[in-house]
Amino acid sequence: MKIKRILIANRGEIAVRIIRTAREMNIQTVVVQTSAEPNAMYVSQADVVYDNTEDTSEIPVFLNIDMLIDIALKTKSDAIHPGYGFLAENAYFAQKCIDKNIVFIGPSPDAIYKMGNKTIARKIAMSLNIPMAMGSEGNIGNEEEAVIIAEKIGYPVIIKAASGGGGRGMRIVRKADEMEKMFIIASKEAEKAFNDPSVFIEKYIENPKHIEFQILGDKKGNVIHLGERECSIQRKHQKLLEEAPSSALDDYLRGVMGKTAVQIAKAVKYYSAGTVEFLLDSEKNFYFMEMNTRIQVEHPVTEIITGIDLIEQQIRIANNEALKLRQEDIKLEGWSIECRINAEDVQSGFAPDPGKIEKLNLPTDHFIRVDTGVQAGSAIVSSYDSMIAKLIVKGTNRKDALRNCKLALDKVWVKGVKTTLPFFRMLVRNPKFIDGSFTTAFIEKDLDKFYLNSEYEEMLAAWLATKMFAEENLMDNSIPVDSENSREMSPWLLNKRINQF
Amino acid sequence: MKADKLGIRKLYALSSENKRFCFSQPLKHSIRIGKREYEVKLKSDEKYGTYILWKNRKYPVEIVRSRQNRYEILFNDISYIFTVETPFSMQRMKVLSSGRGKNEQESLKAPMPGKIIDVLVREGANVLRGEPLLILEAMKMQNEIQSPVNGQIIRIHAKPNSNVMKDDLLIEIKVT
Repeated sequence: MKIKRILIANRGEIAVRIIRTAREMNIQTVVVQTSAEPNAMYVSQADVVYDNTEDTSEIPVFLNIDMLIDIALKTKSDAIHPGYGFLAENAYFAQKCIDKNIVFIGPSPDAIYKMGNKTIARKIAMSLNIPMAMGSEGNIGNEEEAVIIAEKIGYPVIIKAASGGGGRGMRIVRKADEMEKMFIIASKEAEKAFNDPSVFIEKYIENPKHIEFQILGDKKGNVIHLGERECSIQRKHQKLLEEAPSSALDDYLRGVMGKTAVQIAKAVKYYSAGTVEFLLDSEKNFYFMEMNTRIQVEHPVTEIITGIDLIEQQIRIANNEALKLRQEDIKLEGWSIECRINAEDVQSGFAPDPGKIEKLNLPTDHFIRVDTGVQAGSAIVSSYDSMIAKLIVKGTNRKDALRNCKLALDKVWVKGVKTTLPFFRMLVRNPKFIDGSFTTAFIEKDLDKFYLNSEYEEMLAAWLATKMFAEENLMDNSIPVDSENSREMSPWLLNKRINQF
Repeated sequence: MKADKLGIRKLYALSSENKRFCFSQPLKHSIRIGKREYEVKLKSDEKYGTYILWKNRKYPVEIVRSRQNRYEILFNDISYIFTVETPFSMQRMKVLSSGRGKNEQESLKAPMPGKIIDVLVREGANVLRGEPLLILEAMKMQNEIQSPVNGQIIRIHAKPNSNVMKDDLLIEIKVT
């Protein structure tokens, strides 16, 4: 039986992204409308909308396994796509789908479980003799034990959540007297985020590059890789910009690392799309870090350079189709860069800046792809992530892609919330980013300013402040009606001002 | 444009980093760079909202906050804070500031609404710039709030497990 109707257990741009491919494949989509964002873009694009706006419980429906299964059954969906985040890497959810005869568009529960549990994943990699950072054998019980192991492998070490991912529950420890504090923080954060306080310890590799391989596997045991992505531009383990391929790899290293990634995937009989993450040190030694058993935010850069639709592949594999692609069919062509335009305040350490998007103009061009789930009038709500759009560009090589990226960034226009745009505008002009020598420490160590402002921008801002002051204080009439320009001021701007008085 | 009430010929915008921008009054709608004058326009339309048009380029702008003579301007996604002074108030400020001591104080405020998970320092502790002071959870992320300065903790207002609003005072630090 082929999939005819997919329930998308997600929201935002990834829901919109899945709808796009499903439509091309003549598959219907079902989405869940929530009270947090009843007018979201994904709601308007799906074939069937399940109204869940009455549900005001604090836990989002996208984390409620029973309710999602129930919705799938009620809407006669024969498959569920989990997207990323939420339940995408929840083995129990995948199993529950199978039990109810719903196709889970993703890997097997067993593969999710084994790769999701970092200590099991480490054991599997160890048994395959795959290079890894030195670390604890299994989970660590308390801070005393942590200190003993850290002494053995040498500081700095990193504490990681056993059930972790997405950079949460991680803490770097540089000396023994920091251990107690960091152990407790990491463990607490792990419990909150993943419902599992267990943590383990690894040698912390200083200044590595983050290189990950995209994997595709089918249910017949065929596994291939689609080359790498470099995601070294990250802050507190949150990726901000990704590119494919990586300037750090040559064909030989790509071959070796790709083969390693396939080997790990095969060890857990992996099918669907997945990502094997490595750290690459300055001597080009690579270390297995973890496998993500889902479609990733940054999947478009791989799609651009391979010409393969990863969501389509996921659906075909879920349909029990064999991979038509062989490893030798995969050709990496050109270069692609993705910037995550988030509602964040780069001047306040990338703090989320939720709010209503007043205006949104996104560029279109043959070298630009934009994946977004919002439009002007949408709100970035604090209950979900702060993504506005993914700006994806391509070029014939890295230099070309960078030039296109610079052009595209200047054409993105967002009003109502602060965004990461000034960060990217600075980044694409930074020599260390341009020459490719940056590492995951780039943002924390190599930058003293997180944003670009050109010479005259501050002066123009000063001019505007002066203009406002003059109109409010020096005119005969305190409300600025005389000036030709202030008549055009948006009501929103005026409201914002009035609210401050 | 009408002439102003007080006969003020100049206005100064002082940035938070003490940069001074001087504009003649009544304010011209152009700015001189070198020998050329460039027109500045404040405009607004349906597609772009409010923006400044300068040298054929649009820059998104927002007046986020204004209190007395203090303005926070959002220009091309970057916040700038200015106090606007008249020649008279400038003079008064100079007189006042010359008598002020050096012991500055830093008030650390919540950068976003959230919940205090943990306070990592005690009152009286000496801290270095960049040292984590507390953990603030917001939007499902635990954020380390670090000390912006080298100094001594004078007062801690944040309590573990309490919710804070943006700009709530968290910690006061004496700069050393």
